[in-house]
Amino acid sequence: MKSACCGADRTLSDAAARRLHDARVGGDYEGLIAAIPFARFLGLRIVDAGPVRHYVMPYRDSHIGNAAKPALHGGTVAGVLELAMQLETLISQTQPRLPDPVDFTIDYWRSAGPADCFVEARVIRVGRAVAQVQAECWQDDRQRPVAFARCDFVMRAAEPVDEG
Amino acid sequence: MTDNIDKTDPSVRREIARRFTDAIPHNHAIGLTLVDAGPPVVRTRLAYREDFLGNVEAGLWHTAIATTAADSSCGLAVFLAVPSLEAVATLDLRMDYLRPAVAGRDLEVEANCHHVTRHMAFVTALLHQGDPDRPTARCTATFMRTGGALIP
Repeated sequence: MKSACCGADRTLSDAAARRLHDARVGGDYEGLIAAIPFARFLGLRIVDAGPVRHYVMPYRDSHIGNAAKPALHGGTVAGVLELAMQLETLISQTQPRLPDPVDFTIDYWRSAGPADCFVEARVIRVGRAVAQVQAECWQDDRQRPVAFARCDFVMRAAEPVDEG
Repeated sequence: MTDNIDKTDPSVRREIARRFTDAIPHNHAIGLTLVDAGPPVVRTRLAYREDFLGNVEAGLWHTAIATTAADSSCGLAVFLAVPSLEAVATLDLRMDYLRPAVAGRDLEVEANCHHVTRHMAFVTALLHQGDPDRPTARCTATFMRTGGALIP
């Protein structure tokens, strides 16, 4: 079966094309996350929140970095932020597969407690070669974010679709 | 341990590093291990797991797990560089992803805390898969000396 949704890359497998279509059109993100082992490892989920998507990292004891405080490991917060920016770029732009990050920067604003993390990512600018993306992570209070991150991604040129 | 410890003594550094790493549940969860506590460079290793892949078809690590390994390793390098056993926290951290890390091979981190001020510590790290001349990523991070006493 020819994948009608993802003509941007004819090398894309039907399964991968279906996952992208489900996410972009159907708001079904399960398949997309299941295809990324590290996203599964962090327990990442995506939920539609009005016009935007929220990327959720449910709390797990194994995410703790400082048992005395207790606080989440900064790497898990960085992980959900980077995955959110990457997936948001994949879903919202005409990219055939996960875009590769060039670089990643995080500012830790507050210690992240033992609770779920929520991330909203914004694709600020998309050029031919690079997409520039930002994201914020919060826990109980959206007005008190725990971290901010930015990322640049390499974009792949969309190939013309062969309609024949 | 008291504050009169000699952090230039490799055996003392190894013991501090072991306790520091053991106190971090997420380090256990990902399997980050100490290779060399320096001084000055702290070397750690993250053994390859399929869980860490970002691209299964191409067989590539996800870049974000490298960030976690870098953060932990930089934190340890800072902890070993400040004078006493005091709490430190990442203020900001940047990763430059130079080339992909390939499946089946471990990830190694070399972290160097090169400058400490009254409130801050500056650290860089190189990530590679066995050949430091072909790094997969470079990390630059700033840590705060948060002042809380730590008893490892």
